[in-house]
Amino acid sequence: MLEERGVWVWGDAEGARNFCGNSMAIPPPDPKFVLRGTGASVNTLHFCCSDQEDWNPILFSGSANGQIHIWNLKTHRADKVLESHNKQSVLWIHTLQGRNGLISQGRDAAVSTWDLSEGRTAVIDSIPLDSYGFCQCSLMQEGVGHYLLASPGSTSSEVKILDLPKKTPVWVLKPPADAKLGMPMCLKLWQPPSGSRPLLLVGYENGSLTLWDLSEKKMLSHLACHNEPIMCLDFDPERAKGISGSSEKLLSSWGLDNQQNLKLQNTLTLVNAGIADTCIRQDKKILATAGWDHRIRIFGWKKLKPLAVLQYHIASVHCVTFSDHVVPSERLMAAGSKDQRISLWSVYNKP
Amino acid sequence: MAIFHTPKEAFSALRPICVKITKEQNVINVQCLQSQLQKVGDAALQELQEYVLFPLRFSLRTPGLKQERFVQSVVECIHFIISRTCVQNQQQLCEIFSEVSLCLSSPGNHGKLAIISEELKMAVVQGLIALLHSAYGDILLCLYQPHMLPTQGFVISLLLDIAEHEKSRQLRVLALKCLLLLILQCDCPDTHCSFDSSDLLQVGDAFASFLPGIALGMSRIISGDIKQGHLVTIYAIKVWYKLVGLVMANDQVSKNHHDKKMLFVEDSKLADLVICRKPEWVKDTANKLDVLLQKLCSCATGNPHWKVRLELVELVYHLLSYCNKSLKQSIGHLLEILVGLVGDERPEVHTRCGQVLRNVSELCMICENKDFTDVLSENLHTLTTALPRLMRTLDDQSKLKSLGLLLGYLKLLGPKVNVILNSTVHLGRLSKALMQILELDVTDVRIVEERRLNSEADDLQHPMSFLSGWDHLRLGNKPTMKRKYFKHFTEECVFALLQQTCRVLGYYGNLYLLVDHFIHLYQESVLYRKQAAIVINEVLLGAAGLDVDVLHERETPVSVDDLKATVTSIIEEYISRANWDLVTSIESEHEAGLNTNQPKFLGFTKGSHSGCLHTSQSLTVHTMNSNIWQICIQLEGIGYFAQMLNKEFRQLLMTSLYPVIEKVGAETLLISQTATRTLTDLCQACGYDSLQKLINLNSDYLVNTISLNLRRLTQYPHTPRVISVMFSYSDASLLPLVDDVVQDVLLSLDHYHNEKAHLIFNVLHSLMTALAHWFPPKEPAQKEERPHNKACNSATKAEEIQCFFKDYQKQKRLAEGDVEDIDLDQTEYEISDHLEPDITFDHPDVKKELPAHIQIAKDVMEKCIHLLSDKSIKLRLKVLDVLELCVVVLQSNVNELLPMVHRVWSPFVQRLTNDDPLVVLRAFQVLCRLADTCGDFLKSRVSKNILPKVIGYLVSQAPVSAKAGPIYSHTLVYKLQLAELQGLGKLCEKLDLGETDLDMVANTCLPYLSSRQPPKLQDAACSVFYHLNEVDPDATWLILNEVYCPSTYDLPHFSLPPIHLTGMGKQRNEFTDNVLQLLQEFE
Repeated sequence: MLEERGVWVWGDAEGARNFCGNSMAIPPPDPKFVLRGTGASVNTLHFCCSDQEDWNPILFSGSANGQIHIWNLKTHRADKVLESHNKQSVLWIHTLQGRNGLISQGRDAAVSTWDLSEGRTAVIDSIPLDSYGFCQCSLMQEGVGHYLLASPGSTSSEVKILDLPKKTPVWVLKPPADAKLGMPMCLKLWQPPSGSRPLLLVGYENGSLTLWDLSEKKMLSHLACHNEPIMCLDFDPERAKGISGSSEKLLSSWGLDNQQNLKLQNTLTLVNAGIADTCIRQDKKILATAGWDHRIRIFGWKKLKPLAVLQYHIASVHCVTFSDHVVPSERLMAAGSKDQRISLWSVYNKP
Repeated sequence: MAIFHTPKEAFSALRPICVKITKEQNVINVQCLQSQLQKVGDAALQELQEYVLFPLRFSLRTPGLKQERFVQSVVECIHFIISRTCVQNQQQLCEIFSEVSLCLSSPGNHGKLAIISEELKMAVVQGLIALLHSAYGDILLCLYQPHMLPTQGFVISLLLDIAEHEKSRQLRVLALKCLLLLILQCDCPDTHCSFDSSDLLQVGDAFASFLPGIALGMSRIISGDIKQGHLVTIYAIKVWYKLVGLVMANDQVSKNHHDKKMLFVEDSKLADLVICRKPEWVKDTANKLDVLLQKLCSCATGNPHWKVRLELVELVYHLLSYCNKSLKQSIGHLLEILVGLVGDERPEVHTRCGQVLRNVSELCMICENKDFTDVLSENLHTLTTALPRLMRTLDDQSKLKSLGLLLGYLKLLGPKVNVILNSTVHLGRLSKALMQILELDVTDVRIVEERRLNSEADDLQHPMSFLSGWDHLRLGNKPTMKRKYFKHFTEECVFALLQQTCRVLGYYGNLYLLVDHFIHLYQESVLYRKQAAIVINEVLLGAAGLDVDVLHERETPVSVDDLKATVTSIIEEYISRANWDLVTSIESEHEAGLNTNQPKFLGFTKGSHSGCLHTSQSLTVHTMNSNIWQICIQLEGIGYFAQMLNKEFRQLLMTSLYPVIEKVGAETLLISQTATRTLTDLCQACGYDSLQKLINLNSDYLVNTISLNLRRLTQYPHTPRVISVMFSYSDASLLPLVDDVVQDVLLSLDHYHNEKAHLIFNVLHSLMTALAHWFPPKEPAQKEERPHNKACNSATKAEEIQCFFKDYQKQKRLAEGDVEDIDLDQTEYEISDHLEPDITFDHPDVKKELPAHIQIAKDVMEKCIHLLSDKSIKLRLKVLDVLELCVVVLQSNVNELLPMVHRVWSPFVQRLTNDDPLVVLRAFQVLCRLADTCGDFLKSRVSKNILPKVIGYLVSQAPVSAKAGPIYSHTLVYKLQLAELQGLGKLCEKLDLGETDLDMVANTCLPYLSSRQPPKLQDAACSVFYHLNEVDPDATWLILNEVYCPSTYDLPHFSLPPIHLTGMGKQRNEFTDNVLQLLQEFE
């Protein structure tokens, strides 16, 4: 591994050349800006940059003290701070209908929907969840103003699909009792480009991954790709390929064949254990991971080639995400950490 | 007196005298007629005009020599008649005109002025004026018909002669007025018949013949002796331009109607006299006039009387408005005069000049006069081409003129300036000229040498007053900008003119084009960089319409968004590392290694190439000076930009505040001052009340950059400066953010353990200084105790003794274990009261959270422990400084301080005992600071570990210093001695040392009371005794008296044994003075 040789690698997106020739390596960049003032460790981030051209790009952050900050990325300051979830940790946030709505999940076992239009900051609805775990929900838009929300269910290994805004449970996915999968750790709800049936990927406590067909309530495939709980996963429907990280040193990528079977494709061993979050950039070129070892790692998505190790945070990094800027050169990557800072990076943006 | 109203009456009254005059021509008759005429009413006189005039004209016509006196009275009489009536007959007019004028000519030589009295000449000229005034309606035009040309010519030459050669000013002015009247341009208040353009054309045609003569004559008058009086000159100028304006008027010259006229005069011999204003003639004449004009103007501009200069402005205006086509080649010259006179000292002149300029430029705009623009741009081009040469050779006054001209052209061109800017050649010339003129003089060594006053060295001495250097700022005063020195000129007003020039360019010109061009120059060469930056700054100021003086408003102002975009990119360029982190002093040489593209570096390598080290050395000073100016200009620019954008600039603070603050903390005085100015500009522009607000509200931006830069401290060695400036302006509300940075700092200390620890300690130093400032230590409780103890001291002797014994008794009882119940109860109660809440609130594992500043101080002190024994002296000293500040901050929280002191103690003792004297000195100061707070805690440690060493040193050095010469006071040994003596007393008092220790100290200090010691050491030793006196007055008294006792003591009672002190009865010795003084003070 590169890091073990003590070499920082920094090249261009396709640039395996730089990675091979150490002489070409240039030092990794610093963050473009660091947002401070969350007052607690940052658990989740969500960008909103492309909804309206002349609006300021914004970043939502949810932190462990129950605050949701709305950061203006022009001034790099928090425009608004929302107090939520009875000061309990915010686990996950996502926008609804541009920047006019927000959905947040907290450690108080509730999902809240917010009305943010026209400067309002009101909670519209609060949906109680059955699980007090750390598993983040997953959201998928079905139509205008119509969403499906995947959330951890009441009994272990169970996943519940809710319909929003009706709040009604649509499906409850229960794996066979003998599977011993443990708690669901991460969810990814997605719609395959070909079919209309939504699919769900679930990573479990025992390190295995399952694929579900929602409408048939059927587990399509099962893959034991980690030995430790899966902490995060992301999926690229175009290539039918996904990535998952766990609390061990392993990063696995797996694919989906035509029979909807999960197949392990590639694994990568890192220096330090624990990957809290992973995110594939919209253009499917690179992938970032948030490490418990305070580092953010960038990989080429195609071959899982290590490209860069970004070191700035002084505590474990909890989340990492890419912005949805329309202009590729403006794209940002944001990482939130236990050290209460959010670092913004501009990486591999040159065409 | 009876007045004859009817012609009949009048006729009968006048007839005899008229007849008499015809017969007998003498003065009395004429005077008689005049007196008779006064009785005739105007209407009647008009009827009889011809009749009355007849005898007078007859008498003038009769051949033969006439008496001057008589002629004068006749002319006066004619004058009288004509001025009251009007001439209605063309022929009569012509005849009288020629008859009267004939009076002036000498009878022998018909075209020459007769030698006659001034009075007569005056009468004749006045008569002519009256005649011309009294011509009825357009019959005056008959005077301009070709057949009258000879007469006209004759009159004009006579008038010119008078105007030029007469002595009487009045007469000359009259002659000139008469000339004016002849060209129908009389300036008298009477109403005149107005003529249409065809009539004027006729006049113009007639005067075309006389143009050369009159123009030459007038020019001669104008350039004549100043003593002739301003009125003459003014009228001469007036005649000149009115005439030229008439003959050369655009519409007259352009019309194609000459042939017809030619036909009319063809047959007569007068044809020679008539001039046809064909284009060739016009061109030829214009050329000649141009020569005259230049001569005339150069004389008139220098005329001391302002009215003359004012008339000159009128001349320019008149010619520019009427003859701008025919006199094309003179336009440049005319404008030059105008622009030159804008700077006239008389308000009348320059305001009028401004008006005229405005009108002219409107004229040029409205009429879409292409010639005009062409001429202007051509002139501009020539001027810009010549400008660098002019700047090198001319004196300041002339430079001012040529630059004024440049500015004038630009102002006149107005929005059309873009036509010029779009031409690469023009823009190139203009910018090169500006680059050359604005070249700064970078030879002044002082710029490089002058340092900001409160560099770190001062901070150490006064940790609390470290803000002193910036105090002027807190009061809101803006330091004035130091003026720039230029290579090619010295006058401030030249620079002001150049500033205006750039601003006007920015006001009218295409902003993007200009900025692109000058940024390109900026990047192109180091030689141009400063000038280009000046130009860019001013251009933008102009573009925003600030401080710019223009003739007319532009149509479309630059939009705020455009300005903002431009400013953003310029600031980016300015603060890029290659343009911002420049070498400005030799001390900061290490920076040079970081930036290989430094000009300085280049200079150095070049120098070594040529093998001439000396030149490279001097080059460096110049380069540094140049770098300083570059930074200052860029800083100034940022200030300007803020003023332009006002609150819109707030967004740009994200990038620009940090660099500016970095420069506020710069060592070079000039940079620091300029940066502070910029900072105040930013503050005002962005609408913050105070600098503190500015920094507090934007500290997140600062902290972001600081924290990122701390990660690469080797690349950004100035980060500590920013931190210290930020702290110095800010207050404790910054603490939460600071806390975040401190973690970064401490972390980076682990990363760069060796190389950069020094830099990091600079950061910590400024941090701790700020904390010490924000959280001033509360005066410890000891203060309160003091008065209580003092109560005994201040009381009278009897009470004092009583007090002492009571106290003694109490102490003794306590020592024997006889403790009173009540006391015990009280203490017990207190203890329980104190402990209970502690037990309930403090969980054993959860530590109580400390205030942030205490925690920071603790963390920092922790780092100090490790680095106190670093290899580098410099670092050890720095660590001691920081340590002292930590102690100051922790003073208020002894519970945290003492454990830290305990941990720090062993390396600290090493500094005090086994180190370089410099370090010992510093460590001793820290020790004194520690003694302030830790008192008892240090007592045994000091007496065990430190006191022996200190005393040993002082004892061994005492004989050395006693014998030493004057230079001794500059040695380190001396300084250490001094510091130890100065601190020792306080140390003893604060630590409440035991008797043996005190005795030792007293004995050690005694040799220093000797008058052979350096005075300062004596004083310091005295101070030790003062302090000892506080602790144990009796012992101190005794010790002193054993050295020298000034008085003998009489026994109050014989039963007491006699007192004998060793010092009694001693001869006056080296100790006497100090001992006496001390004893005196003690009483």
